[in-house]
Amino acid sequence: METDDVPLDDKAKRMRDLLSSFYAPDPSSTDNAPSNPGTLDAINTTSFDADQYMNLLIQKSNLEALLQRHVEMAAEIKNIDTDLQMLVYENYNKFISATDAIKRMKTNIVGMEANMEQLLDKIMSVQSKSDGVNTSLFEKRERVEKLHRTRNLLRKVQFIYDLPARLEKCIEAEAYVDAVKFYTGAMPIFKAYGDSSFQDCKQASEEAIAVIVKNLQGKLFSDSESIQARAEAAVLLKQLDFPVDSLQVKLLEKLEQSLGDLQLKTNDIENASMKSNDPKQGKVSDSVHISAHEGSVRGFAEAISAYRVIFPESEEQLIKLVQDVVVKHFETTEQYVKGRISSANLLCVLRTIWTDVLLLDEVLSEAVLPVFSLEAAQIALKQHVASTFNYLLQDISDALVRVNASSKEAAEEHPLQVALEASKKAVLQGSMDVLLDFRQLLDDDLHLLVQLRDFIIDWVQEGFQDFFRALYDRFLLLSGRNSSSRQDQGLTGAHGEKVLAGLVLVLAQLSVFIEQTVIPRITEEIAASFSGGGARGYENGPAFVPGVICRIFRSAGERLLHHYINMRTQKVSTLLRKRFTTPNWVKHKEPREVHMFVDLFLQELKESASEVKQILPQGLARKHRRSDSNGSTASSRSNQLRDDKMTRSNTQRARSQLLETHLAKLFKQKVEIFTKVEYTQESVVTTTVKLCLKSLQEFVRLQTFNRSGFQQIQLDIQFLRTPLKETVEDEAAVDFLLDEVIVAASERCLDPIPLEPPILDRLIQAKLAKWKEQNPISP
Amino acid sequence: MQGGSSGIGYGLKYQARCISDVKADTDHTSFLTGTLSLREENEVHLIRLSSGGTELICEGLFSHPNEIWDLASCPFDQRIFSTVFSTGESYGAAIWQIPELYGQLNSPQLERIASLDAHARKINCVLWWPSGRHDKLISIDDENLFLWTLDCSKKTAQVQSKQSSGMLHYLSGGAWDPHDINAVATTCESSVQFWDLRTMKKTNAVERAHIRNANYDMKNNHILVTAEDESGIHIWDLRKPKSPVKELPGHTHWTWAVSCNPEYDGLILSAGTDSTVNLWLAPTSAEEEATSESIAEPPAQHADPLLNSYSDYEDSVYGLAWSSREPWMFASLSYDGRVVVESVRPFLSRRVGVS
Repeated sequence: METDDVPLDDKAKRMRDLLSSFYAPDPSSTDNAPSNPGTLDAINTTSFDADQYMNLLIQKSNLEALLQRHVEMAAEIKNIDTDLQMLVYENYNKFISATDAIKRMKTNIVGMEANMEQLLDKIMSVQSKSDGVNTSLFEKRERVEKLHRTRNLLRKVQFIYDLPARLEKCIEAEAYVDAVKFYTGAMPIFKAYGDSSFQDCKQASEEAIAVIVKNLQGKLFSDSESIQARAEAAVLLKQLDFPVDSLQVKLLEKLEQSLGDLQLKTNDIENASMKSNDPKQGKVSDSVHISAHEGSVRGFAEAISAYRVIFPESEEQLIKLVQDVVVKHFETTEQYVKGRISSANLLCVLRTIWTDVLLLDEVLSEAVLPVFSLEAAQIALKQHVASTFNYLLQDISDALVRVNASSKEAAEEHPLQVALEASKKAVLQGSMDVLLDFRQLLDDDLHLLVQLRDFIIDWVQEGFQDFFRALYDRFLLLSGRNSSSRQDQGLTGAHGEKVLAGLVLVLAQLSVFIEQTVIPRITEEIAASFSGGGARGYENGPAFVPGVICRIFRSAGERLLHHYINMRTQKVSTLLRKRFTTPNWVKHKEPREVHMFVDLFLQELKESASEVKQILPQGLARKHRRSDSNGSTASSRSNQLRDDKMTRSNTQRARSQLLETHLAKLFKQKVEIFTKVEYTQESVVTTTVKLCLKSLQEFVRLQTFNRSGFQQIQLDIQFLRTPLKETVEDEAAVDFLLDEVIVAASERCLDPIPLEPPILDRLIQAKLAKWKEQNPISP
Repeated sequence: MQGGSSGIGYGLKYQARCISDVKADTDHTSFLTGTLSLREENEVHLIRLSSGGTELICEGLFSHPNEIWDLASCPFDQRIFSTVFSTGESYGAAIWQIPELYGQLNSPQLERIASLDAHARKINCVLWWPSGRHDKLISIDDENLFLWTLDCSKKTAQVQSKQSSGMLHYLSGGAWDPHDINAVATTCESSVQFWDLRTMKKTNAVERAHIRNANYDMKNNHILVTAEDESGIHIWDLRKPKSPVKELPGHTHWTWAVSCNPEYDGLILSAGTDSTVNLWLAPTSAEEEATSESIAEPPAQHADPLLNSYSDYEDSVYGLAWSSREPWMFASLSYDGRVVVESVRPFLSRRVGVS
């Protein structure tokens, strides 16, 4: 039935529905949807009304459909009939098989009861027999047990009595492990009965144990014994309740003593490396010392490892001890670094320390010595870098101060030049040496240094940055530019002002040298071998910023140069001030000769020129520049302005003529007087002269002259004309300024009548003759 | 730096050294200036800035008997001013009054209220107390300091007290402390000296050579600014006279005059013989930062104190005056007799923090 369910799908489905509805507890629940009796589909429901159905059918369908329906219905009815038949048959089948099963069960149960009764009988008999055996053997077993207990007791007593002898034997055989085992085994008994029955025994064995303890201690402290043996001894002693702590302390003290030895060795190394500055014998003695030191460190390491095995719980103390060693190492190193040492020496010391650290690390890795020493080395190296730069700074300022000292003696012909060269060398060579020195640190493959590489690079870069800043400060201090330092240097400034001026010039030129030569060299060098770094984080950029330093020194150079010119002009100013404030110009007498302030003025200029000549380079195109200042660019500008001015002055004709000429001249001045100072001899001298002449003009403007006073000024200025032109690059400007002084004097004169040219000439010639007489060699 | 297109010019007939703000004139921004001509007839000009601020108008032109070396307007009466003058051989100082109806007169004469004729030496300057009405005047000559009592109504001036500066101290100028009616600073060759007018005794001194000019800060007590021949401008806190609070580079040649702005803190003008006027901003309120300032710091981190350099002058600039009515205006006077009035407005808003 189930097999042919594919063609009879409908049928099977209906069958199943019917079966389930048959077995369902509540048939009404199957047709939960009360279907509308008014439709033809309601045929399968319980509320099916045959008449109504028929009526509906007849009403709705035509004859043909009815016939068709009839045929269909007949077939369906037939189908349903067969289904019903099949259902009945199936139910019956199941019932029959159930009765079969029940019948079989009944026959099986019948024979079982007899078997069960038999089993019960047998179990009963086994039980009664075993009871019999039990009762008969009970007595004997009790006795056996008692005897056994006695025997054990006797054996123990025997052991106790034998203990001293056995211990003796153990001592002889040095089998301390057994001895201790025995003794500890006997201990509970001794504790319980030691005061009564086993007193002798106890005493004897205690004596023996005392001997053992002593032996063990000896063993523990003797260095000749193997570490295992010593460790065993320690363990045994601990088992014997011996106060191990005191032993531990003692042993630790011993270790600490050897620490002292180690420390001494480090000093030796320092000495050795000090000696190694002498390259021939240094190496040998160095290595000897190092190997000696290494030996002692190795010994120490062994001792440590032994100690550690012996007293495994004492790790903390050991770590402290070992770290102490390293700390002390680095303390001495730091002390050492404070002195003036080369990186090679430092390297030597560091290498020694590092081997020590490695040795110790092997035995006691928990102390994290490498990390620890890395930190310490970091500090030491940083100090080294700092102190190296300090010494460099010291060197340079020494070289500069020597300028002061040596030029005071004035024995040398060109003290400033010498000083400049010396200090240039000090700066360049010094910083190159420093770099080279630090490179040794970088190139070394010592693990310690490799790890610190980035740091070293940063420190060196930072070091240079700070160094140049410090150098700049030092320059300012030396030049007396800092007002705060001026008070400290009051004395030197007072008696060595001349020297100081020269020094300022040297400093100015040195600043230029640093900016143009030293910094690029160092930058190059750093780029070549000190690049990288970056341990301080990239957001901060590299530590060494050549641009900033260059800017600092460029401005420093300019400031110092200006300062030098200022110092020079200041001296001339004082001279001029005295010249113009002392006499009563309104009652001046007729000029007889060129006033001597001119000599002094020229003297000052000469001095300045000689200083400048030693330090600064000569200007390249002297002639060219002169033509330049008169040249097209300047004049074109002033022409244009002048035209402007002319048109304006036309409208204001009322103005005095003096003013007009004055204005016209002033354009030239605007173009030329205050030009930028350059690092050339001519430029500096010219600037000095210009400033002095301008001062002269200002002083003249503050006075009122009579005719003779005016003529005196005219004479002095006329005389100045020739020597000044010789020294100065920008003739036109100087000429103009000299004219300007005369104009100023005439403006301030009550009766401006100039000297007759012949008289002027005569007076100048007289002065020139006198001048030649006084300075026969001078050009 | 740039052309003088921003400045308003005014030409005097002759050379001139001194210009003064007419502080008492509260309705107009006006200046007084006097010429310095040895051989011509000298003039005093009263200049007023037109209401549009685009023109300088000559409000009054008065003849003055001698060349004028110093001129100061009375801070409480706009018609009164003082001059120091010279005939070439002798010096004199006088208080003048501008006649009432000068606008209607053709060539009005100045009325001399009083002449300060107790001086035997070269007179350097006459000082009014800058902060208000005070009937005292100070005049300084080479050797002496005079305190005068001025009575404008009676037209008299009497010497109240006099003090010699001491041997070898040639006085060159001075400044009256606007915060203390009894304190005056005088400059001499090697130092700035401070005087108490009640006792006429020296109270303090700043040792510094070649000081040309000194000016008290109107806003901050104890602050004095000095100008020196070679070494620029220094700002001093008078409680710490040992070393200056601040240093400014000054001018290429001498720094002739300095003037603190009466309104804006730390705004300083300086005039120099290199034919420029420099405008500086050097607030002293942040003086701690200033003194500890390390010069090694990158210059970029410190703002340049020089705000502007006015270089459109054709000769040394000796005269300098802030307008007290419009404190962003100043007048400068170069030796060739050109008055230039400029506004510092364009440089104010940026750093001074003024709207």
